[in-house]
Amino acid sequence: MKTRSVEMVATPKAPHFVGDGFRVHNFIPSYPMLDMQRMDPFIMLDYNSKYNFPPSEIPKGVGVHPHRGFETVTIAYEGSVEHQDSSGGGGVIGRGDVQWMTAASGVLHKEFHETEWSKTGGVFQMVQLWINLPAKDKMSKPGYQSILNSEIPKVTLADDAGLIEVIAGEYNGSKGSATTFSPLHILNAKLNRNGKADFALPEDFNTALLVIEGSIIINDNEKVPTDNFALMANDGSKFTIEATENAVVLIISGKPLNEPIAAHGPFVMNTHAELVQAFNDFNTGKFGYLED
Amino acid sequence: MKSLEFNNFLTGNISVTDEMANALLSQCNKLNVAKGTWLLRQGELSKNAYYVETGLLRQYSTDDKGKEHILQFAPQNWFISNRESEYLNKPSSYYIDAIEDSTVCVIKKDLIDNLSAKITGFADFNLQLLHKHIASLQKRITQLQSYPAHQRYLDFIQTYPDVLLRVPQTMVASYLGITPESLSRIRKELANSHRTS
Repeated sequence: MKTRSVEMVATPKAPHFVGDGFRVHNFIPSYPMLDMQRMDPFIMLDYNSKYNFPPSEIPKGVGVHPHRGFETVTIAYEGSVEHQDSSGGGGVIGRGDVQWMTAASGVLHKEFHETEWSKTGGVFQMVQLWINLPAKDKMSKPGYQSILNSEIPKVTLADDAGLIEVIAGEYNGSKGSATTFSPLHILNAKLNRNGKADFALPEDFNTALLVIEGSIIINDNEKVPTDNFALMANDGSKFTIEATENAVVLIISGKPLNEPIAAHGPFVMNTHAELVQAFNDFNTGKFGYLED
Repeated sequence: MKSLEFNNFLTGNISVTDEMANALLSQCNKLNVAKGTWLLRQGELSKNAYYVETGLLRQYSTDDKGKEHILQFAPQNWFISNRESEYLNKPSSYYIDAIEDSTVCVIKKDLIDNLSAKITGFADFNLQLLHKHIASLQKRITQLQSYPAHQRYLDFIQTYPDVLLRVPQTMVASYLGITPESLSRIRKELANSHRTS
């Protein structure tokens, strides 16, 4: 089995605010070499690195907005977020939990800091990942999976190296909690200092790592510090990460859909005509209704 | 968010050759306008018209209570100007500002005069733009006089397919001449009509 090498390590770009509640560094698709085609099926990754939000009586966040054609996955590392959508989905996720929203044919949703968390404020750290849907599933019914940390399968590594949380896909035979529309893996590696984890992910799967906490060395030679994003080349399948201090690493890996992408704002479809249709359907209320 | 290319205003909505569009757009100065910047303020004399390459502008007036009334949005490929001030040399009754970071072509009145003198057909092109502008203003007056609000909303989304996503509801309500609460009610009823149908 060939070793998969590191293609590039991306340092976080200057942050910007999404609404007033998410202070994010964008990696996919705006970073050079991390465009939607290269990262297929991952079409967007915003990373809210650790940021201390002061207490606020009015929860900060993003008001009502639409999505169509993909899934949004929010992984909470610190802080708490409340979500509500027009298909009836909704809930609160906190530290270690994952919210998996399938926008598909279209939902309106809003995301805010959870009311009680907002009142005390504190350190907030999250990833939001958009996963493209295959053309045949883009207009399917919206769905919502709230995945609590206690429900996420965990694989304990040998030699007290740490553990792997299997959010989606699988690791060493343990299957993840989330239902997906195309083959992909989303894993959290929680490693103790000097702990090692081995991965074998299909060569054609587009694969990347984001160091959430601590720092790591990939394949004994590539250092990746906190908040950096490592793009893995499609030149092999297996690779190793070693924590140089206690570390948390998000690993994403997905089989490319290899379908045309027509993206504009909150809509990701296959053709321009489908995008125009998405705007028409949003304007005429076909995504439903959600109070601000 | 950039505008989606719904149709090209210059070549899609009126009969005009690329030569006319190119003549106009190749000879005007480009200007980057930051969100919130005024290109024209009430009381000023307007010297320019603007063509929006990217971004979003609006033209609005304020009443004696300070409330804003939006006359026009100008997304990508739209023209925006205050003709009363520019051509009749009167202080502007309107403001023009950028709602998003925008890039505009600054069209000076002299440029229109020069191109009209130099290029056969350019004066007709400019006249067609003016006719179209007058026609849309007439339609808007009739709508405000006699159309129910939900019909005005349906016309708004035809005219500006992506603006609802880009501006606060209060601005759309201001354009339609209704309260934000009325706009919410109209949108809710539209959504419910799909649920029951």
